[in-house]
Amino acid sequence: MNKSPSASRIPVTVIGGYLGAGKTTLINRLLAGSHGRRLAVLVNDFGAIDIDAKLITAHDGDTISLSNGCVCCTIADALGDALDKVLAMRVAPDQIVIEASGVANPAKIAMYGQGWPGLRLDGIVTVADGENIRARAGDKFVATTVRQQLAAADLLVLHKVDLLATDQADKVRQWLMQQAPEAKLLAASFGALPAAVLLGQISSSERQYDCLAEHDHYGTMTFQSARPLDRKRLADQIAGWPACVLRAKGLIHLHDDPGHAHILQLVGRRYSLEKGPAWNGVAPDSQIVVIGTEPDIDTEWLRSSLLSACR
Amino acid sequence: MEEITVYTARVVRTMEPSLPLATAVAVRGDQIIEVGSLESMQPWLQAHPHRIDDRFAGHVIMPGFIDPHLHPSMAALLLPMDFTTALEWKLPWQDVPSTRGHNEFLDRLKAIDLAMEDPDEPLFAWGHHPIWHGEVYRQTLNGISATRPVIVWHRGFHTLVVNDATVEWMGLDEAEGERHPQVNMAEGRFFETGLSLAFRYFNKFTLAPKRFADGLERLRQVVHHGGHTTIGDMAAGMFDLEMEWPALVKALERDDTPFRVQMIPPAMPLGGGKKEGAKLIARAVSLRERNTHRLRFYDHVKLFADGGFYAGLMQLGAPGAIEEHHGEWMTPPETFEDVARTFWNEGFRIHVHCSGDLGVELALDTLEKLQFERPRFNHRFTIEHFGVSTPEQVRRMADLGACASVNIYYVHELGDAYWKNKLGHERASQMSRLGTLARHNVPTAVHTDFTMAPALPLNSAWVAATRISEAGHVMGPEERLSLDQAMRAITVEAAYVLGLEHEIGTIRAGKKADFTILEQDPYEVGAENLREIPIWGTVFEGQPFPIKKLK
Repeated sequence: MNKSPSASRIPVTVIGGYLGAGKTTLINRLLAGSHGRRLAVLVNDFGAIDIDAKLITAHDGDTISLSNGCVCCTIADALGDALDKVLAMRVAPDQIVIEASGVANPAKIAMYGQGWPGLRLDGIVTVADGENIRARAGDKFVATTVRQQLAAADLLVLHKVDLLATDQADKVRQWLMQQAPEAKLLAASFGALPAAVLLGQISSSERQYDCLAEHDHYGTMTFQSARPLDRKRLADQIAGWPACVLRAKGLIHLHDDPGHAHILQLVGRRYSLEKGPAWNGVAPDSQIVVIGTEPDIDTEWLRSSLLSACR
Repeated sequence: MEEITVYTARVVRTMEPSLPLATAVAVRGDQIIEVGSLESMQPWLQAHPHRIDDRFAGHVIMPGFIDPHLHPSMAALLLPMDFTTALEWKLPWQDVPSTRGHNEFLDRLKAIDLAMEDPDEPLFAWGHHPIWHGEVYRQTLNGISATRPVIVWHRGFHTLVVNDATVEWMGLDEAEGERHPQVNMAEGRFFETGLSLAFRYFNKFTLAPKRFADGLERLRQVVHHGGHTTIGDMAAGMFDLEMEWPALVKALERDDTPFRVQMIPPAMPLGGGKKEGAKLIARAVSLRERNTHRLRFYDHVKLFADGGFYAGLMQLGAPGAIEEHHGEWMTPPETFEDVARTFWNEGFRIHVHCSGDLGVELALDTLEKLQFERPRFNHRFTIEHFGVSTPEQVRRMADLGACASVNIYYVHELGDAYWKNKLGHERASQMSRLGTLARHNVPTAVHTDFTMAPALPLNSAWVAATRISEAGHVMGPEERLSLDQAMRAITVEAAYVLGLEHEIGTIRAGKKADFTILEQDPYEVGAENLREIPIWGTVFEGQPFPIKKLK
């Protein structure tokens, strides 16, 4: 199949959250993981922890520290420059991860993913420190900043959950869901989140299952059908999926455009369906992978939801 | 030994309370030998060869004016552009008239287009504001030129509008542009983060070495024409120090540059990054190795609290703004405190960019903590800009020994707009509250943050002493400075804020022979007429530099 412009754009994942939330820990785990993705990591943080350079080299990723200029200043635009450097790399990365500054509104950083030539936005992951997020959200200086960061999330990570008693965790979870009612929420400690959840992957390769198998809190559902899907019904069905569904990716055989595959991306609450490559003689066939949290994810229910979107 | 030159004058306003008025000042080399009268300084003159220079016999000699906070590099970017502002600007090569109304704005663009010789050169016009000029769109600008790139940049810097020829010049694919959430290709409008996309293409042109050098040459003229002999570059290296430094040295370190530039670098890289204290200190110290005669790094650094005032990103305390308002932090408060502590404990003097009262609060909370942990006197911790503040914060500044460097032009340009659209009258009229600072004896300078305000110290002093808004309202009369306080704010107090009071800021024996030569006496013309006083030129380190009329 020929590559379409949208398929060749490099996905950008923005990791946001206040200083000390554990964004860097999460990215370090990501770089150390065996997900097989070549990542370019852009760091725009004021935090003390540096990404371990050796770790990155070993895993064929690349980091560019946004150490000069400021993302608030549009003329001396370090982020734009850094993205251009990544785009000019001899071997393009599979994905770009931007660690937003601890006081940045990740929605603003995400604009680059949405609008910079050659890129597309994958999603916004906001990390919240379970121990102190509520205090921060009431802080005299940063309350608004923190609330904006939470509200911007597609995926909201309740981090450092190991430090919380169960009833505390439940309370924070409920509070977080009020801050970002549409975002999908997941809990983690020590940055341990599967790459498939954080980054997503278009192919349902074996590697992905391996990766997921390490984490017993997540489950997947795969869906395959030669029957075309109806665009509107699909959107309606997905809008009704429960909070435990974190991500979905797939190639879609759409009823109203049988000549082309369409690319489905769901990151938390962010859903898109873009025209992809022509089937070019290959028999049209929808393939969707859905990732969600166990034990809530109900694969049979999801399968029937997708079936009901078929024509 | 070098000959002594005695400048006689109608009056020498020394700004020294011990001897405020004189009629002659004796100079040897770059130094003042004595100030007084020809009679009083006879012992010096009889002992050494000298000559009397009476070219200022009809003039007023003042200490060289000081703007402790402006941005040469930002000016170098902006000054090659054409100004189309609602308020007039006096530039050395042009008196920019006030442009008001939609048609007048378009006529002005047409006139600029016609006057340009090279048909392909992009037309950058800065100063558009919808309140004054109405909305302009891609189609509107196609009417100015179908072939020349025309770029109209908003006065407050966050939006620009371009014509078809610009899109073609940029080589930006229409569909690619349209994808961006903060670009509207149909309207030709780039805003907020969309501006980055535009400058990705423009910077090759606007920051090209030749154009940047031309911009710095214009900055050099602007600084001289304002009557300055010292300026502070209050975020040295704002684009990229390694790019800017050689350009600055080349443009400004010349025998015919009549001013010095105090370089105050950001305490930490603007976008964050490593904050290991020892490294930050080592870097700040190592910058001094570059120093030339006129361009000097020293023991001052800059920190940033909240977002910009013109950008509307200041952090406001209660009761916030009339409409929903989103301020931003430029540095996380915890990081701000850590870095401030690092430099405080090393004895540095810290300047903090604070636009809103919550920004000021962060700076003062931090200062109070640092004073508790490790008390310092004479630390010169300076609040820069000081857009919105409370009276209690001023008292606290006095308690903690802080200084203020205030952008007073906010009152003039934004006073009416922030009254009506953002803060209401009470707080808008008390922006840049100089009167309260004076009542609490807080050392207070005024600055322009050029290009945020015209680099004209007498204009700043005029706003400080009158608080007249662009619409002609007196904004907060109780916050006016007296004429003398206003003149001190552009001389002796500005020197103090920059930590250079032993060298400059007043006229007395032993200081640098830096003078601003005026055609009229500020103390005679009165506050209302300060900005109209013609400037003959300056004397910098003993050398006279008349202002050449360029037109």
